[in-house]
Amino acid sequence: MIKYLIKRILWMIPMLIGISLISFFIMHLAPGDITSSEAAFNPKASEESRQKLRELYNLDKPVIIQYGLWLKRMVELDFGNSFASHQRPVLWEKKDANGNVIKGLIQESLPITLLINLIGIFLIFSVSIVLGTISAVKQNSVVDKSITFFIFVAFAIPGFWLALLLMYWTGVVNQWLPISGLHSLDYKSFSEIGQFFDLLKHLILPVSISMLSGLAGISLYVRNGMLDVLHQDFITTARSKGLKEKNVIFTHALKNAILPLITIIGLSIPGLIGGSVIAESIFAIPGMGKLFYDSVLMRDFPVIMGILTIGSVLTLIGTLIADIGYAWADPRIRKGLVK
Amino acid sequence: MKQNFLLICSLIFIISCSNNNSEVIDYNDNNLSTGGVLINAMSAEPSNLISMIAGDSASSAIASKIFNSLIRYDENLNFTSDIAESWKISNDQKTITFKIKKGLEWSDGEPLTSADVYFTWKLITNPNTRTPYGSDYALVSEASTPDANTFIVTYDDNYAPALDTWASLEILPKHILENEDINSTFFSRKPTGSNYYKLGDWVSGQQVNLIKSENGVLGAAYIEKLTSRIIPDTSSQFLELSAGNIDLMNINPIQFKRVFPAKPKLKNRTALYKEMGNGYTYLGFNLKREPFNDKKVRQAINYAINKDEVIKGVLLGLGEPISSPYKPGTRWSDPSLKPYEYSPKKALNLLKEAGYKMSDDNFLVKDGKTLEFEIITNQNKQREMTAVLIQRRLKEIGIKVSIRVIEWASFVNRFIKPGDFDVVVLGWSLSLDPDQFNIWHSSQQGPGQFNFVGYDNKKVDQLLEKGRRELNLDKREQIYHEFSRQLLDDSPIVYLYAGYGLTAVNKRIKGIKSPAPPAGIYHNSQDWFIPKSLRRNELTNK
Repeated sequence: MIKYLIKRILWMIPMLIGISLISFFIMHLAPGDITSSEAAFNPKASEESRQKLRELYNLDKPVIIQYGLWLKRMVELDFGNSFASHQRPVLWEKKDANGNVIKGLIQESLPITLLINLIGIFLIFSVSIVLGTISAVKQNSVVDKSITFFIFVAFAIPGFWLALLLMYWTGVVNQWLPISGLHSLDYKSFSEIGQFFDLLKHLILPVSISMLSGLAGISLYVRNGMLDVLHQDFITTARSKGLKEKNVIFTHALKNAILPLITIIGLSIPGLIGGSVIAESIFAIPGMGKLFYDSVLMRDFPVIMGILTIGSVLTLIGTLIADIGYAWADPRIRKGLVK
Repeated sequence: MKQNFLLICSLIFIISCSNNNSEVIDYNDNNLSTGGVLINAMSAEPSNLISMIAGDSASSAIASKIFNSLIRYDENLNFTSDIAESWKISNDQKTITFKIKKGLEWSDGEPLTSADVYFTWKLITNPNTRTPYGSDYALVSEASTPDANTFIVTYDDNYAPALDTWASLEILPKHILENEDINSTFFSRKPTGSNYYKLGDWVSGQQVNLIKSENGVLGAAYIEKLTSRIIPDTSSQFLELSAGNIDLMNINPIQFKRVFPAKPKLKNRTALYKEMGNGYTYLGFNLKREPFNDKKVRQAINYAINKDEVIKGVLLGLGEPISSPYKPGTRWSDPSLKPYEYSPKKALNLLKEAGYKMSDDNFLVKDGKTLEFEIITNQNKQREMTAVLIQRRLKEIGIKVSIRVIEWASFVNRFIKPGDFDVVVLGWSLSLDPDQFNIWHSSQQGPGQFNFVGYDNKKVDQLLEKGRRELNLDKREQIYHEFSRQLLDDSPIVYLYAGYGLTAVNKRIKGIKSPAPPAGIYHNSQDWFIPKSLRRNELTNK
């Protein structure tokens, strides 16, 4: 088992280099660089000055050399500085000579995206397991059909549209919830608990919206898994033994039915750092989605590469965790690995 | 996300049914007093507050309230004093002497002197400074500071746009930046300035707070605190405005014309302002390609496009046709010039003169080739709609047009730079200085330069060179009127429209000039105020 793990982890290094190489080249395939943003299309900015900027950012060198420079920095775990945001560090804060702290871009965007996604995934999985189980147990009943109907409607509704309607209803007509943003304007004057509840209040809408579209997939997954299991012989055996239906479903069926969810949880780990550009724009949340989108539009190469690298590391770790989790939960797979 | 406005329209009917229980506020209180908070919405976060490096409009909007230049534009777009109380141009027009006001201070109390101005000039001309704007200032051959209140610059050659360049260079404090690397300094997020506001705090991605500064170069402002909330989506901004959470936002023509009139309650507490915008939209030909090298074809297309229809369709009438690249109403724009009228007849006659004949399938043909081309533009809803309207009008007179919409960076690098296009729909700014050398001089056609349409007219070249060297305003005016006339006649681009800038402001904000002066409503933001009875906390206490 340990030998297997070490092998897997060592394999990640060439994989990462491959992924970064491909991303780097694809990124440079798109025409343009930081000097061709819309703001730079200004008659007061001469082509010579822009050429000079390109040289200062090493953008005049061949792509392979730029990649080499990037890789050299990455080996020292230095993600570099953003082109577009005045040389701010991509990943983590740096201190200058006078002790002024300059915060990193990912450092500022990641926590909020992570928080929203963690709450979102937790809610999606808990609600989906409940809904999926009910649907399966009461298969083809009115309850089953209305649940399926509800989750499909939730899935099909465009998130931004529903978001605006909810913002209007809860924010303008009734003034129950804040419309956009993460904090009230005067949140710094609140106590710590006050600040926490202020943040929660601001997160209710964005989290609900991000949750709704995720429900459909997972609850259908649970429903189908559950139906499969319920039709198997050992369930019939359990029932014929005279076990209570509650025990049959929760102890015997559900455990088997949600086993495949481990893979999904593992695979959703890289998704934790990604945010929806549309949702973040509508709710004015400065998260990772907006950061990545803006960086692509600005051709802010260090930031794009930084986010892609973190994303690919997390994807690799996610699949590893999914495999390990599977082995831990299912003795059949564990045996296969040891062999 | 702009599509969402339609959605807002669909919301209107819900609004009209809903019961808004807020009490009636009397907006007629006009008692001037200091204090209060103005909350406005911005679509993007400033990238950094050192404008010579930033370049995005969000940054300059904030930075302009923190920093001063040597001189500035007044409400009628004439130069007036800022840090410099006066300036003098030498007889040979090569030297400008700025007299700096005495006793000026940075917001931290340090004195602001000519040394700061000299330092800023050194900084922007330093090759290691990552600014795209250095070239104008590199033309200064000699700068000196004989005393703390005098700053003298000398140019090798007369340079008429010089005053404009000094009006756009924001002066930075030497005592803080002397030993900093301008390219990565903390100063860009924690600046010390000299204007009527100073930075309070900046919550990344969410809000920038400016606090009134008592020792500003132009005196103090009335409003105590300016909060700029960063809300990327304009529909969300609009909801915040409807809920009364923000006081000011830029709106689009649909909101101006359709949404506000349909919401009487919101309209009662909101004032709408329109002002001449800062840019114009045009249809530009690739003059190096057939058939656009033929002036008659260009003029024909100009006649065939109905500009009023475009303004009505795209801007709901909130724009103006123009006939020169200058703001209507300023001295540089020649009122005697008129745009090409809409006349399909004239267009067809010109095309026939150019050798085109109508074919059986109703398209114009010359030497066996149908008159057809592709309009390209970037992802901008207004430009896309404009292209569609043009496509239809040109089809009517027998020109086959296709449209392609491309992402900005690809658009510039794949098509504009290599000159690989037929026709573009794009925009230029209506610059305050009339110099258009970079856009229209025949020497400016290299890859990455701005005369990408390939305009080449010896007479215009001479006028542009002359205009750059002439510092006498009246003579300059004549030169640029002549230039505009020639440009309009050659029709290398078709001027389509200059849209209005539209702003919605809560009526609690007083002191905004209406109708807006040529410089726009923001130029006197220092004099805006909020009467005591209309402030937020007063209202909630009631």
